[in-house]
Amino acid sequence: MDERELIARVRAGDGAAERALYDAHVDRVYRLAYRLAGDDELAREFTQDTFVRAFERLGAFRGEAKLSTWLHAIATSVVLNGLRKVQRLRRHETDLTDAAALPAGGRRAEPDLKRRLARAIDDLPDGYRTVFVMHDVEGYTHEEIGGALGIESGTSKAQLSRARARLRETLADFAGEWVS
Amino acid sequence: MMDDRFEERLRDAARDYHRPPATPREEMWRRIEAARAARRRRVIVVRRWVGWGAGLAAVLALGIAIGRWTAGGHGTGTPSAAAGDADQTTLAYRVAAAQYLTRTEALLTGFRVETRGGEPAGQFTAQARDLLGTTRLMLDSPAARDPRLKSLLEDLELVLAQIAQLPSGSDREDVQLTNQGLDQRSVLLRLRTAIPAGPGPVRAQGAL
Repeated sequence: MDERELIARVRAGDGAAERALYDAHVDRVYRLAYRLAGDDELAREFTQDTFVRAFERLGAFRGEAKLSTWLHAIATSVVLNGLRKVQRLRRHETDLTDAAALPAGGRRAEPDLKRRLARAIDDLPDGYRTVFVMHDVEGYTHEEIGGALGIESGTSKAQLSRARARLRETLADFAGEWVS
Repeated sequence: MMDDRFEERLRDAARDYHRPPATPREEMWRRIEAARAARRRRVIVVRRWVGWGAGLAAVLALGIAIGRWTAGGHGTGTPSAAAGDADQTTLAYRVAAAQYLTRTEALLTGFRVETRGGEPAGQFTAQARDLLGTTRLMLDSPAARDPRLKSLLEDLELVLAQIAQLPSGSDREDVQLTNQGLDQRSVLLRLRTAIPAGPGPVRAQGAL
């Protein structure tokens, strides 16, 4: 069944077609939600919300973009808005935790490179982090990222470049070791 | 060259960043279906409320107008005509009260079921505010001359005021207190008893 036919059947209320659409896209949506949220419960919630909204709005889908692009635009909007709300709620809690457990500084305090990298990615500005995760971690193309985030693919490239530069700077003390 | 190798290593290491587990397809699908079914039910209930609301407002306004007009001594007809007017007034109030009580029951039942299922209470505040206004009109109307109905209307006023004031991000405790109030005063039971039985808007049984 091609995409157009699948959409027509979903619009007509065909339950099997709804499930087929879900099966075709759920892995990628859930993976992205998990990569960005870093939490299984949040990733599930965001994925579910994405599909509930997609099924509700499919009647308004004009087919100008690919269905996956349209779906990922909903997914990134749900995830980023959801994360902003969660971050606001957690900010106070995190501030207290950070204050109580300030690192001693330097590599000895954080010998685990992967953990340090994860922290550096977490600390990237939202736009850079989203593009970095989508491109370098999940393998989206700049065109796909542009379609999902509503930006030009050139902007996506520029943000990726800045994200990498920021990470290189943050992890500078590991760079020599990595390259050698 | 150094930069290229660094970026290559960076990409390799980044693959472990928030590495997702296997997609919980079935569980998420069940929850999506449940969420969509709940939304569909809510849309149906809201549509019904809008219809009832418009009808109720019109009938209540008509009933109150007739009541005030007859109470003000504007009637010039014979005693039998006056008795007929009084009957019409009573009938208008009964229609208005029956519709109001049915609508309130739908709201409170929906509130109890949805909030116990963990759904947000914010969706009910607008309807509660609307019904609260009608409750106050009912309390000022001849319908409140019946002590049983008056007592019920006073309890409904309190519960609807609580729901209307629930903040959008209200915590479970606020919602729980409102539900406890509903249970302790047997509001839903008394409300259902007061709603006349039968299919039509004006019925022969119940408190009215």
